Parts: sequence; structure tokens; C-alpha cells
Amino acid sequence: MRNRYVVCYDIANQKRWRQVYRIMRGFGDAVQYSVFCCDLSPSERMLMIMALTEVMNQREDRVMVVDIGPADGRGKACIEALGKPLAPNSSERITVVV
Amino acid sequence: MDALATTPELIPARMLNEYVYCPRLFYLEYVQREWATNLDVLQGRYVHRRVDQAAGRVPRAEAVTAEVAIHARSVEIGSEELGAVAVIDVLESDDGQLVPVDYKKGSAPDLPEGAWEPERIQVCLQGLLLRANGYVSNYGVIYYVGDKTRVRVEFTPALVTRTKQLLADARALAVAGSLPPPLVNSNKCPRCSLVGICLPDELNHVQQVTGSRPTAETAHGSDKAGSVAPDVAPARREIRRLFPARDDNKAVYVQGQGYTLGLRGATLEIRDKGQAVDAVRLFEVSQLNIFGNVQLSAQALRALASQEIPILHLSYGGWLQAVTAPPPHKNIELRCRQFQAAADPAFCLKLAKALVGGKIRNSRLLLRRNGRRLPPEALSQLVALRDLVERGTSLAELLGVEGSAAREYFRYFSTMFKLPPDDAPPFDFTGRNRRPPKDPINALLSFGYSLLVKEMVVAVLGVGFDPYLGFYHQPRYGRPALALDLMEEFRPLVADSVVITVINNGEIGPDDFLQRGEAVALLPRARKVFIEAFERRLDQLVTHPVFGYQVSYRRVFEIQARLLARTLTGEIPRYIPFVTR
Repeated sequence: MRNRYVVCYDIANQKRWRQVYRIMRGFGDAVQYSVFCCDLSPSERMLMIMALTEVMNQREDRVMVVDIGPADGRGKACIEALGKPLAPNSSERITVVV
Repeated sequence: MDALATTPELIPARMLNEYVYCPRLFYLEYVQREWATNLDVLQGRYVHRRVDQAAGRVPRAEAVTAEVAIHARSVEIGSEELGAVAVIDVLESDDGQLVPVDYKKGSAPDLPEGAWEPERIQVCLQGLLLRANGYVSNYGVIYYVGDKTRVRVEFTPALVTRTKQLLADARALAVAGSLPPPLVNSNKCPRCSLVGICLPDELNHVQQVTGSRPTAETAHGSDKAGSVAPDVAPARREIRRLFPARDDNKAVYVQGQGYTLGLRGATLEIRDKGQAVDAVRLFEVSQLNIFGNVQLSAQALRALASQEIPILHLSYGGWLQAVTAPPPHKNIELRCRQFQAAADPAFCLKLAKALVGGKIRNSRLLLRRNGRRLPPEALSQLVALRDLVERGTSLAELLGVEGSAAREYFRYFSTMFKLPPDDAPPFDFTGRNRRPPKDPINALLSFGYSLLVKEMVVAVLGVGFDPYLGFYHQPRYGRPALALDLMEEFRPLVADSVVITVINNGEIGPDDFLQRGEAVALLPRARKVFIEAFERRLDQLVTHPVFGYQVSYRRVFEIQARLLARTLTGEIPRYIPFVTR
């Protein structure tokens, strides 16, 4: 079962910021500048953390990972957007047919 | 396995750790080369991220003196004499002797020895390897990253003797070539990464019921509630399900002609004339299905292969044409057994009876559940045919019985469709026809079966079988016979049931088909609807009739394939078909 995570980052250097953005695209949907919404199993969360620690500078950068609960429970219910609506989370599909 | 019973090469110290933890785990990982990643494995890799990068210098044995300070990471050391090899996470020096330091992710256990036995044995073997290479080493250290504790392990004569004994035992087991039985109700199992491959509690249950109660046949065709069709009694209490019920990842189907698939960062992007149509994150993909003329970039292919995601190439009509998968599974022992068993007519017949019997039971069940105004003889005929299966003496005879059962079943198949609201003509279906299908229902059935075949191919490949060598379906060029064997019992439960669902829910109507001469084909929109319904079905949780827990159909396919593998290796006396209530 997956939990939903809000992942926000402050990266001090342009090049690393780009790298972090590319990594995060592989784990979740970009919802705001430097904010991603990710549905991850414990293993996938670990993979994300492993990928991020590879490129981060531990002294200058910070990534904040907020666990907001089960993806199909609280994780879904507790995010509210004012103004422009949020796009539906792309991981809610069972299958992708195009 | 006799053919493989050569002296094994150097046993890694890590594998000796596994042997002490569970001999079966050692056998699965070291001999059969099964491998799986779970959270603990990843955490282990994470805490080793620094120590796994080789660094530092290690002088020769004679140059090690009390004055020399050594701090090296990831040092490989082996000894032919001991027959073992190790990668030492950190190698330190202490007054002229060397100290192997092994990193462990957890916290130090509350034990008098300070560390678990498998870990002490592992570090002791590292010490023995240092000694065999001329160094002095009298103690090792286990460093628990979780609570940053160093635990000192003295290489006492008792520990050394025990380590050497266990190493000899492990080698003997590898040479003997027989998979040790699973642990019974062990609390080691839930966090073992191979639990979904080993299936400890499932096997123990099957062995228990089949060993003590051979062929306790239930009355044929009894319809009493809760009667379980297979001749293996269900678990009295639910068996521990030690792996996830569902595969959270998603299947990707690309049927847009002329589309291209490329890699963008860690996502797979689907493009039409250079414009992105959709994108999927790589880690979420469970399989990629490509229908007809769809291009796949080499980079995407490599990225998918590195994650062991199978790519299925299907014709536009859905027939499986090729599978791109990483090199064949390393479990050669299983394939040897498969070829031996396929050459044994008695084994093939016994297995075929189970498969055909399962299919007839499930067909009957689907009719009984969904048929409207079903003549009573319809069900009893199927029961009679199932009895004939039991008494069958040859594969040819079984084929005949299966054919008659299918005719009976399809004769009443249309009773399962809801009548259309007005007096519009219902779908015209009288019997099964194919190549090409001549009416919409047959077109749907054919498409459903072809999706099911490729699902089974994925399941048997994952377990390590050769999909082209079957037991009931005899080998024929280009036919995935083993997948066809295993899908028999699921034809009604999965493919037929999806057909009934999409028609009865009105998801697919008479306008969704294209008639060309005699042939009827699905239009792209209807194919999309059907694939989605098929995937929903695979994702649906079903109570396993023998083990009592809930799992998705996709997992059931894998479990059945593994049960077949265990039947081939003789761990369970016979294959138990999946039959729902």
C-alpha cells in the first residue's frame, strides 16, 4: 500500500536543483514550484531518498518529506487547493491505455 | 540436481550469513539465484552507500606492523583453501592485526553475545579469510548503523569451529542439490525478501493436508454453500499472507499506431508525432504492452530492462508475437525439471487432469452464478464431463472431453448476458468461433484470451519457466504452451467474466465493432475499454480457496506458477488448480 508524500526542496545550486527536479519527476507529480506530490510504498520512498542523497549537498540543500497518510485515504482528503484546481494525481490509474 | 552437482565455487560470507538465518534462503539465493528486493534490502544498500565504494590501501601481510594504520573500505578477500570469499565493509588495523568491520542497518540486539548468530558467523568467516591470507585477526566488529553501536566479536575457538562447520554444511547442501523445507511459523519469514518466492506457510499447509489426507474427494457437483471444489481442504484458519495482496504497479498498453515511446528523465513518455500524449513514471510500470506499429527507443528499452520490466510485443489484433525480457531467469534447476517432467507422460496426464478439471469447474461456476433461465441439465452435463476427466487415460482423451465441455458451456454462454432493455436484437452468439472471430462476442473472447495468454507468459517467465514447453498443450512452433496450460482454469474466471461484465454494464455495445467480410474486430475505443476492464479484474481481490487470504488475480497467477514449480521439484505431491467458490 502506498502513502502520499508532499516533498518540497530548497536547493542552493542551479545544477543540483535541476538534478533534483529530474529525480522528483520520476517519483511524483509537480504541484507547485519545488513541491511534488508522490504516492510511494516504503521501498519506493527509500529509493527516492537514495536517489536524492546521491545529488544533494548535505550542508547547503534541504529536502522536506511530509507523509500525509494512505494514498487512497487521508492522503487524498487532506489536500485542498484554492484558486486553480489541482490536476488529478497521475498514480490513481490502474492501467494506462493510449 | 545431479547434473549441477559440481563443487560450488567460493561461497560468499554473506551467503553463509543467509545459511545460518535459513538454509532454504541460502539455497534459493545461492543455488537457484532467486533474488528479490524489499524495504530491508534497500535500507541495507542505503547504509552501505559509503562503505561499498572501494577506498584505502591494504598492505601485504608481512608489511602490517603495529605502526601501520589501515582504514580501507570494501575490501575483497578470498581463499581457495577455505572455499570462501568476502567483501569486508571496512578493514581497520589494531596494533598489528586486522579488524573486519561489518555494517548492519538495524540496532544492536539485546543479546549476551551482542549480535545475532548469522552476523557473528559472517564476520568470523571474514576473520578466517584474513588469517588464510597471512594476516593476524583475532576479533571483528559489527557496526549497527541504527544506533551507531560497535559490537566486538572475538574469534574464539568455539566460534571458529562453528563457522567452519556451518561453511561445510552450506557447501554440502549446495552440492546435494535439494531445496530444504521452509521454516514452520517462523517470525523470520515476514521480513524476508524472498517470502513471495519461498511461500513457506502455503507449502507447509499443502504438505500437511496432502500428506495426511490423500485425495479426500468431495462429492462431485455438490452445491452446498462453502463446498470448495479442489480436493485440498482449505486452511482452517487463514494462512499468514506475507507479501502484498496487490501489485501496486500498473500495466501500460500502447495501441496508437505510429506512436513512439521514449525516456524523459525517469519517466516513460508516449508521443504522437513528437507531441507527448501521456507519461508514466518508470518505477510504477509493471509491464509494457505494445500493439502493432509502435516505436520504442533504445534508451527506454534499456531503462525498462534494468528494472526487469517485461515488454510484450503484440500484433494489432492482440496476439503475442515477442517478449523482450532480461536474459532468462538464472534458476536453471527449474528449467531442467520442467524438461524432465514434460517428457514423462504420467506426469503430464496427472497435471492435465488437474488443469482441465479446474477449467470445467470454473466454467460451471460462472454459468451457475450468472446464467439466467439455465436448464438444469446444463450444470449436470458439466459435472458428468468433469468425472470423465478424472477417469481419463490419455491426453487425447482429455482434449476430447475438454472440447465437449467447452461446447456445452458456450451453448449456454449467452444466458449470462442481460437482455437488452428494448427489443433490440441481443448480441448474436451461438458458439465459439475464431480465426477470425465472426461475431462481436467471439471477437471479445478472442481478445480476452490473448490478453490472458500474455499475462501467463509474464507469470511463468518470472518464476523461471520456459513458456514454450507445456505439459497438456504439446509444443508447437511459436505457441507459449506452458502459458496456455496454466491459463485453462482462468479462462472463465478472468477472460469470460470480463466479457460478460463489459456487455452487461453496457461499456461495450454493438457499435463498437467493425465488420469486414466474415470477420469482426474491435474498434480502438472498445479495445481501450476492454483492456481497462481486464486490468480491473486482475486487480480485484479474491479469496484464495486453499490459503484463505485475499489476493489479486495477478498475484494468484504468480502463486499458481510457483505451486507448479514446487510440484516439479517434488515439494508438493500434485498441482492444485485455482477454483473459486
